[in-house]
Amino acid sequence: MRAAVMAACSDTQDSVPGRLHFFLNVPFPSEREASIALGSLAPDSEPRKGGISKEMCTAGNILNVKWSADEARILRVSVGSFLDHLALVLETMLEFGPPVPL
Amino acid sequence: MTIVIGFEGSANKIGIGIVRDGEVLSNPRRTYITPPGQGFLPSQTAKHHRGVILTVLKEALQEAGLKPADIDCVAYTKGPGMGAPLVTVAIVARTVAQLWDKPLLGVNHCVGHIEMGRLVTHASNPTVLYVSGGNTQISNDPSPGYNIEQMAKKGKRYIELPYTVKGMDVSFSGILSYIEEAAEKMLGSGECAAEDLCFSLQETLFAMLVEITERAMAHCGSQEVLIVGGVGCNLRLQEMMGIMCEERGARLFATDERFCIDNGAMIAQAGWEMFRSGQQTELSDSWVTQRYRTDEVEVTWRD
Repeated sequence: MRAAVMAACSDTQDSVPGRLHFFLNVPFPSEREASIALGSLAPDSEPRKGGISKEMCTAGNILNVKWSADEARILRVSVGSFLDHLALVLETMLEFGPPVPL
Repeated sequence: MTIVIGFEGSANKIGIGIVRDGEVLSNPRRTYITPPGQGFLPSQTAKHHRGVILTVLKEALQEAGLKPADIDCVAYTKGPGMGAPLVTVAIVARTVAQLWDKPLLGVNHCVGHIEMGRLVTHASNPTVLYVSGGNTQISNDPSPGYNIEQMAKKGKRYIELPYTVKGMDVSFSGILSYIEEAAEKMLGSGECAAEDLCFSLQETLFAMLVEITERAMAHCGSQEVLIVGGVGCNLRLQEMMGIMCEERGARLFATDERFCIDNGAMIAQAGWEMFRSGQQTELSDSWVTQRYRTDEVEVTWRD
């Protein structure tokens, strides 16, 4: 199973000046597995309440994650941490998947 | 028959255990050991756990001779503990619960210690002293407890130190500031050895713990004491508590280091009790928390 990671980073000029955004779109082999990943990664909120927010959702077999942050440093820490956790989910799926039929 | 798998990694131990109706089928564990003089920090601890958790999970299933389909419930530590390691373990628990389509259960770490203590010792209604290194926030100094314990064994002289008990509360701040000052002076003048100070520190602190335990027993009319938590392994503490119990005609229960020290089976055991009494944790409620008081837990499995 491969999960190719595509990331896009943009410094938008919208209503909140200086806000940094980062997008991650992670394809999974199936809709169910994308949904499982969301279930594992969504429950814990960001450690630092101020200055960063993260939204996650699935669209078919893709897990979409969007960050908004005021500082690049905070954004980097959050994305780095998320990628560690995502890797753990993927390794767990590789080792103990595929999901049992419902 | 109910089989529960429990995941524990709130501090520097990562353990996964499987329990079937009061029988521990497997309980593998790894400890993140830092270089001497350094304590364990959250992000490094989490990294350690990430590196070994899947191996430990495989071991737990293999040693128990079970397949994922045999599991009835996936329990994990919801808190209290260190944030990053808690999240790491919760993520794997959530993932396998979903992959295997099994109910999830977030367990209070302290309740895990208590329930395993009760299972192993068969104490029926004990006063429980839960004494832990990580969960007792005495100071931020790295790994003092273990080093002090080892040195205390070699101590010979008892030096009087501040003793602070107020009702059911103990205070360690007075003794800590006293010993910080006194240590330099006494060791410098050769009045005593470091081992003697460690011994005296331990004697004083343990005496305080014995006093509050005795007070709790008197208030509740209890004739049983159960010591749980990592520090509960300490034989001197067990000895002192034993003397107090003998004087009161009470029984002392303590477990060995398989279960005193953080492990997965204790989470599985608490999970077993909770699951059979109808509890379950929804994914959206499965967030972990560094602070989680024992009295916040709804005990649905016992009166």
